Amino acid sequence: MATTTATLGITSADLTPGMSLGISANTFLYQTGTTTGLELLDMGVGQLTEASGADALAEALGTADTANYIYLCNNSTDVEHYISVTIHATLIGTLGSEEWMWIPWNMGDGDAEIEIQAEPNGTIPYEYAIFKSTHTLPAAT
Amino acid sequence: MATINASITINSDITSNPITISKSMVLKKFQSNVGLEETTGLQAKKFTATTAVKIIDHSDGTPAKSNKVYVRNTGTNNEHFFYVSLNASAAAATTTETIGKLYAGDWMLMPWTATNNSSHDIFVAPSTTAAMTLEFMLFQE
Repeated sequence: MATTTATLGITSADLTPGMSLGISANTFLYQTGTTTGLELLDMGVGQLTEASGADALAEALGTADTANYIYLCNNSTDVEHYISVTIHATLIGTLGSEEWMWIPWNMGDGDAEIEIQAEPNGTIPYEYAIFKSTHTLPAAT
Repeated sequence: MATINASITINSDITSNPITISKSMVLKKFQSNVGLEETTGLQAKKFTATTAVKIIDHSDGTPAKSNKVYVRNTGTNNEHFFYVSLNASAAAATTTETIGKLYAGDWMLMPWTATNNSSHDIFVAPSTTAAMTLEFMLFQE
């Protein structure tokens, strides 16, 4: 069984005057509702172009309503460059230069598709990792 | 200007060569190197019903600006989870804007774009009537 952990730290000494902020969280990534570690991983790097419009980060194939997690990072150092992240055509948010995100993902069908789009111009390098409970291979063509 | 730092470390032995992803970021304003300066503060809420509950209203943010949302299931029962979703009453497996499920100990940190529309409210729905606690925090521009 594989073991995967995701650890978060959020700190700020000056967000709230006189009270420093410190959040620390650590979690083990388990298959849906169990204590068996996830064993499927899809990761890589890419170049996202504004001209290509919205692209699916990955096919949302797999058993619906399972435990899956997405890490995505905008590796651009140009402060003007950001990635729009949507789910089922609904904008979740924008990932600015050198920013990352970590979310659970309820994949399973096209409605759960995560789409990313480079904004407002040019090419944005990005990296991602998707940890999954299940995986369905695409149909042969 | 406040400085809010966030770091993620992912360790996994899913592959034969263990991987580590380690990233840090400063939470910044939209297309800017200036740090976010506002927050709702860290909140904790106890749930004892499976009804979907809005934890962040779209009016809590400003459209076309940068926001970050932190959410964590502080529970320890691996069978219990929270659905996290965009849009009113969408916190269920079959609705189109369900982002994913946060199991015991799971956390998420995602960008969030607040539009002038309830389609960008953030809802959660517990999987059980057993007591569960969620902590969450909004960082705003």
